[in-house]
Amino acid sequence: MQERIFVTGAGLLSALGTNKEEALTALRAQRSGIAPLVYLHTSHKGLPVGEVKRTNREMMRMLGLPETEITTRTSLMGMLAVREALEQAGLSETNGLRIALISGTTVGGMDMSEQYYLDFLENDTRNAYIATHDCGACTEMIADHSGLFSLVDTISTACSSAANAILLGALLLRSGRADIVVAGGSECITKFHLNGFRTLMILDGEPCKPFDADRAGLNLGEGAAYVVLESEDSARRRNVAPLCGLSGWGNACDAFHQTASSPEGEGAFLSMTKALDSAGLSPEAISYINAHGTGTENNDLSEGLAIQRVFGENIPPVSSTKSFTGHTTSAAGGVEAVISVLALQHNFIPVNLHFSSPMKELSFVPATVDRPVRPLQHILSNSFGFGGNDTSLIFSKTESV
Amino acid sequence: MTCTMDELILKLKKEIIDVLNLEDITPEDITDDAPLFGEGLGLDSIDALELIVLMEKNYGIKLKDPSQGRELFRSIRVMADYIQANRTK
Amino acid sequence: MRPLYVSRTACITRQSVSVNGKELPVSSGDGRFLAAVYRTLGIDYPKFFKMDNLSKLGFLASELLLREDRPRFVPREDCAVICFNRSASLDADTLYQATIGPGEDYFPSPSLFVYTLPNIVTAEIAIRNKLYGETSFYICEAFSAHQLFTTVSHAFADSSIRSALAGWTEYGNEVCEAFLMQIETFPPPETALPFSVEFLTRIKNKL
Repeated sequence: MQERIFVTGAGLLSALGTNKEEALTALRAQRSGIAPLVYLHTSHKGLPVGEVKRTNREMMRMLGLPETEITTRTSLMGMLAVREALEQAGLSETNGLRIALISGTTVGGMDMSEQYYLDFLENDTRNAYIATHDCGACTEMIADHSGLFSLVDTISTACSSAANAILLGALLLRSGRADIVVAGGSECITKFHLNGFRTLMILDGEPCKPFDADRAGLNLGEGAAYVVLESEDSARRRNVAPLCGLSGWGNACDAFHQTASSPEGEGAFLSMTKALDSAGLSPEAISYINAHGTGTENNDLSEGLAIQRVFGENIPPVSSTKSFTGHTTSAAGGVEAVISVLALQHNFIPVNLHFSSPMKELSFVPATVDRPVRPLQHILSNSFGFGGNDTSLIFSKTESV
Repeated sequence: MTCTMDELILKLKKEIIDVLNLEDITPEDITDDAPLFGEGLGLDSIDALELIVLMEKNYGIKLKDPSQGRELFRSIRVMADYIQANRTK
Repeated sequence: MRPLYVSRTACITRQSVSVNGKELPVSSGDGRFLAAVYRTLGIDYPKFFKMDNLSKLGFLASELLLREDRPRFVPREDCAVICFNRSASLDADTLYQATIGPGEDYFPSPSLFVYTLPNIVTAEIAIRNKLYGETSFYICEAFSAHQLFTTVSHAFADSSIRSALAGWTEYGNEVCEAFLMQIETFPPPETALPFSVEFLTRIKNKL
C-alpha cells in the first residue's frame, strides 16, 4: 500500500478574510465576501468582485516588510497564506527536511506591470518591477520570505493552477523528492484578466448564482491559499496532528476548446474518475463535492452533466463556494482545498449561495443546507482551467484516508 | 457615414473576414441570408464575441448580452439591418 | 524507469522545416511564414488562422509529426502533450494588452485574450488530435536539455502514459523556433533513437 499523505497545515487569504478562521466564520454564517470593486484602479468600479480587503501597504505591514520592499500583490497575499499554513504545521525551520513550495499563478506580477508600464517606457524609476512581472518571480518572493524551501516551482495552468500544484506536491512526496510540500496558489485581480473575462462576457454584474437556471456569469475574486502536505511518517516524527488526508487526484484534458468546456464535460468526467481511482474509492464514498461552479452558463452545465455521469442516481451534496469568494482563478484550487479541509474538520457543507431556480438540464440542485446527513468522510474538489486543463482532488478524514 | 444596404453588406463581409481571420474566404463566399453560425463558416463562441466588439468599435452599437448577438448574427442581412437602424458612427 | 525512444522529430525555424532530419521545401508565399508552412502541408483546418503565433507554431510541429498517421484523430488518454519555452505567451500578451490601453481605442479583444496563456498551444494540439491525457507547458529561463529530459521522463512515471508529444516551442522577440518529438515506450521501429539529454542537445543545436 502507498504511504498516506496528510494535510498538516492550511492558510487562506480571500474575500472572506485574512485567515482561515475568518473564512470559516463567514462560511458558517453564509456571509459572502463579494462586494463592489474598490481596491483595483479601474473604470469598472461597482462591479461585484471578491477582493481581499487589504491594500498592499496594509499587507506589507502585516508581514513586517518595509514600505520600500519591491513586491507584487500576488506575492504579498501568498506570503501571508504560506505563513499561516507553516505556523499551523509547526514549521519554523527546516531541521534538515527537504521542504518544497509549489505555487500556482497565471497573472503573476501583472498588477505592477500595469501600474508602471508607462514608467518602464519613459523613465527608469520603476525598473525594479520589471523583474517581478513573471509568475516564477512571484513564487520566488514568497519562498524567500520564509526562507524554508529547497525546491520551488510555479504552475501556471490558468484556473486549475493551484489544484495542479497540490497534485504535483502529492507526486513529489510519493516519489521521495521532498519530505514536506507547501502547495497552493496566489492570484490578485488585475485589469488584464478582468478585461479579458469581460470580453468573454462571462462576468455577472450581480453576485454570481452557480448552478442556478438564471446564472449570468462569474464574479472575479482574488486570494491565496496553501496546504502543507507530508507523509504520515513525517507527521508522526514531527509530532503534528493531521487536519485530514489527501487521498486522490486526477488530471485530464478536455480537448474541446481553448476556453469553453465540452457540452458533455468529458475532461471533468475523466479527472473525477481518475481521482476516485487513485483514491481507491467508489463514487458512493464521496460525501460532498466542492464544484468548480463558476456560475457561467457553460461551466455549470458541463460540470453538472459530468457529475451526473460519474455519480449517476446518487449525487452527494454539491456546492460552489465561488458564491462566497468569487472565482480566485489560479488560486481557486487552493482556496477550495482549504475550504474542503475546514468542512471535513468541522463537519459542515459550505452552502451554495444565491440559488433559487433549478437548472432544467440537471437532476440535482446545489446544496443550501449546511448540516450533512452523515458525517463527512471524503470531499471531492474540482478545478478546471482554460486550455481544458481539468483537475480533481479528494480530501479525506484522516481515519478514512 | 451613410451608405446603401448593398455597400454596407459588402463592407461588413470584409470586416468580418478580417476580424475573424477567415482565410481563403471572400465576400462572395458569404451568402447574405445564410446563417453565420452553425454550418458554413465554422464560427465559434469566441467569434461571436469578436463580432460584438466589431459592432461597438465600427458602428458604436453596444450589446449587453451574448444572447442578443445570437439573434443578430443569424445572417449578414439581419446584422446589416440592425446596424443601419442603430448605428451611432 | 522505462526506456524511452524518440520515434519522430519535427523542427521548424524560419530557415528550415524538417521531419526526422529530412528538409521540407516551403514556398514563402505572401511572406507569412507559418501560413506558408500550413499551405505546404496541405492541411484543412481553418481554425489554424485564428490561433496566435505560438499555437500556430506548436500546431504545425504536431502536424509534421502526425499527418501521415492512419487512422488519425483516434481519442487517446495515454498520450501526454508537454511543451517548453522561454517567452511564455508574450507575443499574444502584447497584442492583447494593446487592445485594453487607455484612451479612445479601448476595445478588448476576446480572441486575443484566449491566447494569453501559453498552455493554449498544448490545448490546440490536444483538441486537434483528441488527446485527453496530461497536457503541460513549462516556462524556463533558458533552454535546458537536462530539465526537458527530466520533466518529460517524469511524465512517464505515470504508468498510464505510453506516449508523449514533447518539445520546445518558442515564439517572440524575433525568435521563431520549435522542435517536437514523438516519444514512446514500446520497442521501437528501426528509425527510433534513445530519448536522452544528448539527443535533445543535438536537436536544439541544429535549429
